[in-house]
Amino acid sequence: MIEDISLDELERDALTEVVNIGVSRAAAGLRKMVGQQVLLSVPALEIVTYPAAAALIGQRESEELVAVRQDFEGAFSGRAMLIFPETKSMELVRAVVGDDVAAEDLPDMEVEALAETGNVILNNCLGTMANMLQQSLRLSLPVVVRGSGGQLFADPSATPIEGGLVLFLYIDFTIREHNIRGYIAMLMDLPSLATLKLLIADFIARVTADID
Amino acid sequence: MVDTPPTAETLARLEAQVAEAQQRLNLTLDAAGATGKWHWDIPGKLLRGDASFATLTGEDTLALAAGLPTSSFFRGIHPDDQKRIRLAVAAMLSGAELFEKDFRLRRPDGGLRWVHAKGRTLFDENDQPMRFVGHLVDITEQKRVQEQLRVAQTAGGIGTFEHAEGYGTVQVSPQFCSLLGLHPTRILPIATINRLIHPDDPPIIAVTTTEPEAVGRPVEFRITRADTAEPRWLARRGEYVRDLSGPGMRYIGVAYDITASKLTEERLRRANEGLSERVRERTQDLNRVWQNSRDLLVVLDLAGRIRAANPAWHEALGYDPIQMEGRTLAELIADGEATALPDLAAGTKRFEIPLRHADGSLRTISWTTSREASSVYAYGRDITIEREQAAALQEAEARLRQSQKMEAVGQLTGGIAHDFNNMLTGIMGAVDIVKRRIKAGRLDDIDRFMDAATVSAQRAASLTHRLLAFSRRQSLERRQVEITELVLGMTELLDRTLGEQVTLEVDLAGAWPIVTDSNQLENAILNLAINARDAMPDGGKLRIAARNVTLKPGQVAGLTLERPKDFVAIDVADTGHGMPLDVLDKAFDPFFTTKPIGQGTGLGLSMVYGFAQQSGGAVEIHSSVGEGTTIAIYLPRGHDSDQHAASVAAGDVPRGAGERVLVVEDDESVRLLVVEVLRDLGYSPLEATEADSAIEHLRRNPELDLLISDVGLPGMNGRQLAEVAREVIPDLKVLFMTGYAAGAANRDEFLGEGMDMITKPFDLERLGTKIKQMLGGVD
Repeated sequence: MIEDISLDELERDALTEVVNIGVSRAAAGLRKMVGQQVLLSVPALEIVTYPAAAALIGQRESEELVAVRQDFEGAFSGRAMLIFPETKSMELVRAVVGDDVAAEDLPDMEVEALAETGNVILNNCLGTMANMLQQSLRLSLPVVVRGSGGQLFADPSATPIEGGLVLFLYIDFTIREHNIRGYIAMLMDLPSLATLKLLIADFIARVTADID
Repeated sequence: MVDTPPTAETLARLEAQVAEAQQRLNLTLDAAGATGKWHWDIPGKLLRGDASFATLTGEDTLALAAGLPTSSFFRGIHPDDQKRIRLAVAAMLSGAELFEKDFRLRRPDGGLRWVHAKGRTLFDENDQPMRFVGHLVDITEQKRVQEQLRVAQTAGGIGTFEHAEGYGTVQVSPQFCSLLGLHPTRILPIATINRLIHPDDPPIIAVTTTEPEAVGRPVEFRITRADTAEPRWLARRGEYVRDLSGPGMRYIGVAYDITASKLTEERLRRANEGLSERVRERTQDLNRVWQNSRDLLVVLDLAGRIRAANPAWHEALGYDPIQMEGRTLAELIADGEATALPDLAAGTKRFEIPLRHADGSLRTISWTTSREASSVYAYGRDITIEREQAAALQEAEARLRQSQKMEAVGQLTGGIAHDFNNMLTGIMGAVDIVKRRIKAGRLDDIDRFMDAATVSAQRAASLTHRLLAFSRRQSLERRQVEITELVLGMTELLDRTLGEQVTLEVDLAGAWPIVTDSNQLENAILNLAINARDAMPDGGKLRIAARNVTLKPGQVAGLTLERPKDFVAIDVADTGHGMPLDVLDKAFDPFFTTKPIGQGTGLGLSMVYGFAQQSGGAVEIHSSVGEGTTIAIYLPRGHDSDQHAASVAAGDVPRGAGERVLVVEDDESVRLLVVEVLRDLGYSPLEATEADSAIEHLRRNPELDLLISDVGLPGMNGRQLAEVAREVIPDLKVLFMTGYAAGAANRDEFLGEGMDMITKPFDLERLGTKIKQMLGGVD
């Protein structure tokens, strides 16, 4: 079954491009919010199991993680998480709210600011994907959660889909001279992934149709 | 002129020129790696490009400048890259911002070129993508290099990583990930990599410092592999370069596994440590020897400078061994002994040198040195005390010998004094009686006492003669002697000496004549006979025999011969108690006697020994307790033809006929006696007390016939006087008188032609005979 949903190189390229469109849109949204240049890029993408995703992120991050979580539903369903190391999340908040806010007020604003930023990014990403794949998706409201990689991916409440896989994206942010790395994880069940694969194939066919 | 329409020929020429120009441009682009720019009008669906872009993509320059359908963008792209690029472009047209792809373009000549395309979308105020602009760069060469690099990295197990200053992530190669046991990826957070690195080792990227690392210096660090938790050693090296795409610096590095070489290194290190430990222990052992040795140990260079000296130097010579370093042995050598130091570089040496102790005293050190390469190892032992003891021993021995000698002299003096007193008593007593009888006029019985006095005096003379013979200052009168005659002449004396209890047996038949001093030989035989008698207190047999022998070199101890020589051995054998070994050993020692003080001088055997030696012979003694003693005197054989010996009939003193004789003698009584005798015998004597007055007589009396002179005169001695006398009277006969003569022991060398010698004491008969012989009166 894994073979069915595994992406070939072209499909992976295509999915990366789709996500790139999404984060570009998100960056445009954040630019408007912040009033400053924001650059977002997705240099890499992987599809892994939950434990592998937990290990991946555990390998890469030693500190506690903060995630903005949104569930999505449509042609393909699942849960999206925008994940930052805890310190990076504070940096992101500081970058987003600007220098006018006093340091002591920052913790109070953190959850709200994170939820808002995460909403912009995830909405744009998922929306763009749906658009590009000529589908529609419904998104829940953003929730901010904290924990280790293992907790984020192993918590039954956080992983509603048994036996699912994770579409794992690395993202680099550049805001106000802050370089912030983060991850987007899309947790999907196998049927959803199979659907995504088909949709991507359609997308490839469509954009390359006029080659011949 | 009227313009003519271009002919087909002209057209073909122009086309050829265009093609040629196009070709030239292509080559230029190849050489320059030129950048071609594009401008994609999204709503207008029109693609424009500059000349370089047209050339790279194979489009007509003019047409592209004017605008071509956007599908032209993909026309030159290699079929395998078509879909990938179309996907990416589609994303750009749909709102993606950044485009960055490598792909292949077909070249007009059928070949391929790799290009790198970088572009971005420009949006209108409604975020609608309006233009997609960018540029192409020919990276064919770069790709080839990249491919080479990839192969090199894979083959060499070398991972690369690149970090832009300020970023939290590192671009890595798949090989890099596999070195760390990480999931292959192109991007890794610095923290993730650093977490795998041993906390004591330097991190992969020193995020807290921007100090550039020394270029090319490899940094070694331990990691724990993320997948297997296996510990590995990695090395990385790299350098900071200016980031072309940003304001900061970029660190480009490589990493590779050095576990194997580290393990080898560690094994070597352990092996080395083991070795060092053993060397250390061994050094400790040797060091203990060095530290504890009581002998002087020192390492020198070839110039004799001390490199190291052991603590014994302080104990033995009072020097701090540390301060000895750099000094030389020669500096310590006592003054005037510097030449005693041998060449130490010449191998193993053993020598003794006196060294100066720090307190100024001298220490004799016995050295053994050996050389190895440029070092000389010397071991010295202080033998000062041994040397002092040896010297003290020698001195003690000398003192002992001296005291033994004095004891012997005492013994001798006692013996001689006793004998002399007896003799003097005999002489003085007899002379006293004679004087009294003359006074009383009783002259009838006077001869008996005169004879007794004469016998006593002769015995005294004999004793001094023996003493002198022993000291070898007695001149031997060597001449041909018939042993048979000599011994037979002694038999009466011997019989009387031996007494009735000892039987005398004589066997001398067929003996060769010998050359010796007959008086001495008689004395020797008599001495031996007396010894034999004393050895046979209860009686026994004394045998005197002669054997003819030819001795080979080494056959008889104490006899040095160059070739076999004829000797006559005179054996004197008794049947007495014999001698034990310790006595036998000392039998020939002077003054050694087994007799009580006063009964013997201890000179007997030693005199015999001296006589035999002086005669060119030897003495052998055979004796053991209870077996008797045989003493053999070896004397050289004489010549059969020279058998005749001068002998003068006793009692018949030849008389002179008025010949003029000069007597030179400093002893007044001797001179008086001699002059008186000469007058009695009919000579005309003149007298002088010493050489000067003697010479005056000689000058005044050139008709002198004979000079009789004492050898030992005050001033000029007799021999020298004889020389002077011969200058005055060339053929003057000279007769020397001597008690003993240090320079006259060998009379043949002492006497010249026409000279002779007579030993004191002598009787008138001997003197008269001698003078007559010399003056030709008696043959």
